[in-house]
Amino acid sequence: MGVVTRAVRNISRRKIRALLVIIALGFCMAIMISIPSGVIANQESTEALSQNLSSTITQTEASINQTLTQIECNLSPSMEGFGFAPPDSGSSGFSPSQSGSSSFTPGQFGGGTRPGGFGGGSFSVGGTTPMNESLYSGISSIDGVAAVAPILQVSEGQNQTITAPNGRTFTRLVPDYVIEGVPLTSDLVENYPILPSNITAGRNLQAGDSGVVLLSENNTAFFGVGVGDTVTILDQEFTVIGVHGSSGVSDTTTLYMNLSDAQSLTNNTGYITTLYVFANDSSIVTDVANAISSLHPELTVTTAQQRLAQLQALQSSYKTALENAEASISQTQAIALEEIIVVVAATSLIVLFVMLYTVRERTKEIGTLKAIGFSNWTVMSQFMIEGVLISLIAGVVGIAIATVAAPMLSSLLLPTVNTFGSTFAGRNSISGATSNLATVTVDPQLMLMAFGAAVLLGALGTLYPAWRAAKIRPAEAMKYE
Amino acid sequence: MSKPVLKTEKLTKSYMLGKRSIPALSNLNLQVNAGEFVAIMGPSGSGKTTLLNILGCIDKPTSGQVLLDGVDVAALPESELYKIRRNKIGFVFQTFNLLPYLNARENVELPMEGKIKSKSERRRKASELLRMVGLSGREEHRPQKLSAGEQQRVAIARALANDPAIILADEPTGNLDARNKREIVGLLADLNVNQGTTIVMVTHDSHVAAHTERLLFLNDGKITKEKQGLHLAKKKAECS
Repeated sequence: MGVVTRAVRNISRRKIRALLVIIALGFCMAIMISIPSGVIANQESTEALSQNLSSTITQTEASINQTLTQIECNLSPSMEGFGFAPPDSGSSGFSPSQSGSSSFTPGQFGGGTRPGGFGGGSFSVGGTTPMNESLYSGISSIDGVAAVAPILQVSEGQNQTITAPNGRTFTRLVPDYVIEGVPLTSDLVENYPILPSNITAGRNLQAGDSGVVLLSENNTAFFGVGVGDTVTILDQEFTVIGVHGSSGVSDTTTLYMNLSDAQSLTNNTGYITTLYVFANDSSIVTDVANAISSLHPELTVTTAQQRLAQLQALQSSYKTALENAEASISQTQAIALEEIIVVVAATSLIVLFVMLYTVRERTKEIGTLKAIGFSNWTVMSQFMIEGVLISLIAGVVGIAIATVAAPMLSSLLLPTVNTFGSTFAGRNSISGATSNLATVTVDPQLMLMAFGAAVLLGALGTLYPAWRAAKIRPAEAMKYE
Repeated sequence: MSKPVLKTEKLTKSYMLGKRSIPALSNLNLQVNAGEFVAIMGPSGSGKTTLLNILGCIDKPTSGQVLLDGVDVAALPESELYKIRRNKIGFVFQTFNLLPYLNARENVELPMEGKIKSKSERRRKASELLRMVGLSGREEHRPQKLSAGEQQRVAIARALANDPAIILADEPTGNLDARNKREIVGLLADLNVNQGTTIVMVTHDSHVAAHTERLLFLNDGKITKEKQGLHLAKKKAECS
């Protein structure tokens, strides 16, 4: 019988001990596998975040440059607090009220829809409150106004009940798509950036188009249609005239159509959510905006310059987030390194002490082997094999534990990265801002490396005990217990 | 039959106790011829075990020569000594010293590992030796399933594994009851008579020692008395 068989039998002699040692070592191995996996997952999510942030920043800048003369006017719900009530009460769902309390609920308007909110950096239509288009005709007469484009934006989707971390529940609309009605006059379409510029299939909307839609790439997947197909939106059929690529975060689910189509489709005839006002020149944009504000104090008037300032603030917070993310990567790596060192040391020490104990316990046996003619080398290799074998079994156990518990172990052992500080909490619409350790996966290469480490650490830890065993004098065989 | 297998000349061993040198053996001259069965007797601390350890190459003398089959083993390094122990010497211990996780046959095969390459040959020889010591059919039993007497038989078979020049037995009957004592010493005597195995046995039991053909009395590291064992001499005379 060979040394390996003897090693196996020796290990199985003390079953409980072997089991405990293997479980302990197995956990060490699992940690050794889980920590790098966690670090990798961390890095990946941070890199994804960085990319997301950079592209957001680029898109923001692009749309800023394109719309420097643009002024966005919304009727913001924040105005309610000022006691504002629209002069028109119609059937729109908000009743005239002179008091400061709000009687308007965004969700009531337009059949439970809610126009899209501010979309994380793109210059999108941000109005949430419908406005009667006819009330704002005076704006076009203001000095310096080149054009006015009334826009209707309505989100369509499902209401979902969300439970906040503090236990409160609230209902919010999760949009499937956003309908944006755009006035398709030749002047506006040809001279002003009211339509997406990035057409990936078919053609863009043209002046006079009706009964057709321009879908986003996400929309084509959602509806399952392509250019030339007929798509049914809110029970009405439209022809898909083209597809636009994303030019901003909120654009990814926005489909464009003629304003009057959108108004009749969503029962909003005569209503819009946003006015785009274009100034003659970027130098007078502020003056024009002030004029609009004094004419219609209820409007939230935002110029590109103001938006630029907002966006720059936003960008700087994105950049801070990026720095935080990068800092947290190096911090995580440092912690991971420390932990790996501890685990490696623990593994070798466990093997060392267990094997030393075994050698001590079997002193007489080793003495006997030497007395009957075993060489130092044979005795030593016998123990080396035993130590390595235990580590190998522990390695397998460790891999088994890691495949099941790697996400848990790495979330226990690594700090969770929150790149946006608490000041930014809740505003963060960018996925992956916090590293998601639940996505930790263990790749086979890492498992193989851990297996190699198991053998190496087993050998390392056994070296000294095996040497001690080899040095045991054969005369030990003569001693009586 | 008078070729010397083992011979010591001026064998001296002393232990250091602090700065004091404690003599264990002093200028001991001993000769064991091939085919002899020798008993070494003496009180505790007389140097019996020290002598046996030196003869068995598991301890080194302070001075003097130990010639085993004509080779001065006292001068050999450990890298050579283990081969001498494996090929020339068969140890029998008071506490049997079988490996508990190996069965009887595997225990007997153990010393052969460095010497006989063929696994089946080792197996065959081990079974044959076990048959010789009267343990046919017990090959697959582990030590804990065997009686004390049976365990010592396995140990004797193991000592014989590599056809050693000499068997060194340290109190081989010390842990046995009266009946097993008789049987084991009888087995050793049989091996000596029938196989011509040379045996040196340390014992303090005069009944056991009486079965040998030569008795050496050790006291204070010196051989103080030598006696012929009539019993075995008579048996040998009957055989020849």
